[in-house]
Amino acid sequence: MVQPLQSVVIVGGGTAGWLTAGIIAARHHSRMKAGFSVTLIESPDIKIIGVGEGTWPTLRSSLEKMGIPETQFFRETDAAFKQGARFARWTTGAEDDAYYHPLMLPQGFTQINLVPHWLQDEHGRSFCDSVCPQGRLCDDGLAPKTITTPEYKAVANYAYHLDAAKFAPFLQRHCTAKLGVRHVLADVQTVNQHESGDIRSLTTKQAGDIAGDLFIDCTGFAALLLGKTLGVGFKDCSDILFCDTALAVQVPYETPDAPMQSQTISTAQSAGWIWDIGLPQRRGIGHVYSSRHMSEAQAHESLMNYIGPTHQDLRVRKIPIRPGYRETFWKNNCVAVGLAAGFLEPLESSAIVLVELSAKLISEQMPANREVMDIVAARFNEVTHYRWGRIIDFLKLHYVLTQRTDSAFWRENLDPQSIPDRLKHLLHLWKYQSPWFFDEFDRLEEVFPAASYQYVLYGMGFRTQVGPMDNVDSEPLASRLMQENITMTRQMCVQLPKNRDLIRKIHEHGMQPI
Amino acid sequence: MTNIVPLNSLIHRSLRVYGAASARYGDNQRFVQVVVAEFPQLVLHYPILLSKDADTGVFFCGAVLGFERDENLFLKEGEGHEGYRPLDLQRMPFYSAGSDLAIDLDHPRVGAESGQALFTESGQPTNYLAGIMHAFRDIKPGLEMTKVFIATLLQHKLIEPVDISVSFDDGSTHNLADLYTINQSVLRDLPDQTVLDLFRRGYLRLIYLMIASLKQVQELAKKKNARMLRGSESLSARVG
Repeated sequence: MVQPLQSVVIVGGGTAGWLTAGIIAARHHSRMKAGFSVTLIESPDIKIIGVGEGTWPTLRSSLEKMGIPETQFFRETDAAFKQGARFARWTTGAEDDAYYHPLMLPQGFTQINLVPHWLQDEHGRSFCDSVCPQGRLCDDGLAPKTITTPEYKAVANYAYHLDAAKFAPFLQRHCTAKLGVRHVLADVQTVNQHESGDIRSLTTKQAGDIAGDLFIDCTGFAALLLGKTLGVGFKDCSDILFCDTALAVQVPYETPDAPMQSQTISTAQSAGWIWDIGLPQRRGIGHVYSSRHMSEAQAHESLMNYIGPTHQDLRVRKIPIRPGYRETFWKNNCVAVGLAAGFLEPLESSAIVLVELSAKLISEQMPANREVMDIVAARFNEVTHYRWGRIIDFLKLHYVLTQRTDSAFWRENLDPQSIPDRLKHLLHLWKYQSPWFFDEFDRLEEVFPAASYQYVLYGMGFRTQVGPMDNVDSEPLASRLMQENITMTRQMCVQLPKNRDLIRKIHEHGMQPI
Repeated sequence: MTNIVPLNSLIHRSLRVYGAASARYGDNQRFVQVVVAEFPQLVLHYPILLSKDADTGVFFCGAVLGFERDENLFLKEGEGHEGYRPLDLQRMPFYSAGSDLAIDLDHPRVGAESGQALFTESGQPTNYLAGIMHAFRDIKPGLEMTKVFIATLLQHKLIEPVDISVSFDDGSTHNLADLYTINQSVLRDLPDQTVLDLFRRGYLRLIYLMIASLKQVQELAKKKNARMLRGSESLSARVG
């Protein structure tokens, strides 16, 4: 008789732990009557790292599936809209050098690749502005929807900027009150294993032994279960991505009703970049840099220069980043999610989306019993390795397209030794054909789709050859779509409210569920 | 602009207000906010639907009186309002201010030559004003009751968007956008206990009045057709 897998134990109560608990509990909620359980063990003392402030639109469906009203999410976590990222000074380093990586797909993306058409005649417009309205919406400080748009629905595709220190406790309340997740506040002292290496139970200081069938390691950098107990090694990627330290601050607005931007602003520096995220109550700003190329004092100075003279007394938090990921993510009956699985600089907000994708995969593929777990684990490892590889490629793309030569940091980023082979091949290929649909971006849930590559490549001045007759057949459709984009942009700029105003209205009146 | 002040029998003793239905004075509305107490009368003439306040996104109940902006197909200039005139039109230019009545002195109805007096010489409310006061006895609690009714509909996921597209005899079509109605499949699947609860609270009746009122869309279209026909006839008559 095969014992069914009934008890999932998550260790760690940060964003990764609670998001994973919520996604699994929502998906398997009806099984709880038959004995299925989700337990989350959280140390009463450990502080949440809380680096993830940027998310992807996937979080909307994750929250919706967990049964969270979006209004409540905005009100209780101080969340804001995110409509993409604006990259300043990454290409040439000049004052006016900037491009958008928006969250909307280019017009007609499933029917036609507009890149060659734009390349043939740019009409004096950036790629982003030629194919989607979102860059203009961000420039105008507009929200991605109106107060009459139902919860989780968008006029312009959006994700969230959030306060991780409020997000995890919010998820905790929802998971325990609505989804039947058992919350245990206790310190794990010993991890007890079977002879096979499987984890049998955890001995805690406050709550005795806690047994389980599947253990999810959300213990952050510590990787208590997968790293320390099961001895899985760490694959360091600092030879590809050089940034290894972040200095983070929270900056208040000049006035409570000051405009709030809905794009993450990423401004390149001489040995890294500065993020700038608008939340309703404050901005989150941080300098991510390579300590090989810049001292902490210099990094601090650049950060203060960015913030300006009025806020020099803010508390600066230093966060070490060791770029890389685990050699295996799921071993025996233990799988790591979140920082325990790996960590990269927050350049494209990949941390939370990876947690969602991992939790979803675990949840959808939840092994029926221990016998089949290794099969699921192998698939999970294969997919997750692929994802980390693609994220690293995509982050590196931002560095290899630079024309900056003003510091060793930027020059060394172009060193072929530091560029993954796959990315090198793609860059070679893209000289002759632009990334699009029937590309090798064939995975069902690609973290960064071909559209993201298009926005970064052509935002940073990359050029793909276009033959004289290449566009002839699709020219009428392309012209029509680009014309429609102009009309749509104009309409949206008139119809959409200011980002700050919509957030205020959501707090005041709420959004409707339909 | 509005200039809303509390109504005062001394200050406003000689004020005259034009109270009858008139497009010129603001009855030209295609969608009028209504309260649940009006449903039994509204259902005889108008589709009763829900819409969202553009400024707050909050749902409210309304009656459809026309298809185009400023079009009230039940208005006949000089002949008043055909059928039941919704309270929200009746009350113009009055507002409630706490337990008192207030008036918008800048409203074109106020001070009109042919207006009606509000007070008798001895300072008693005229029949006209008494009627307005009576209307507000329905409107004020009515708005609150309607709010609770809508919240109950939302709670049970009984609201769904509806696309109303009407074709007219001249070949044109018109879409009524941003409107919502009762989700009948959700209604059918409600658990018995919920149905009983809705019945006891009087909501089941309101729900069925809303569903029944959808039939009025066709009647409304007929009215519009007839009006367009008359318009084209008089046009051809003039040309002739």
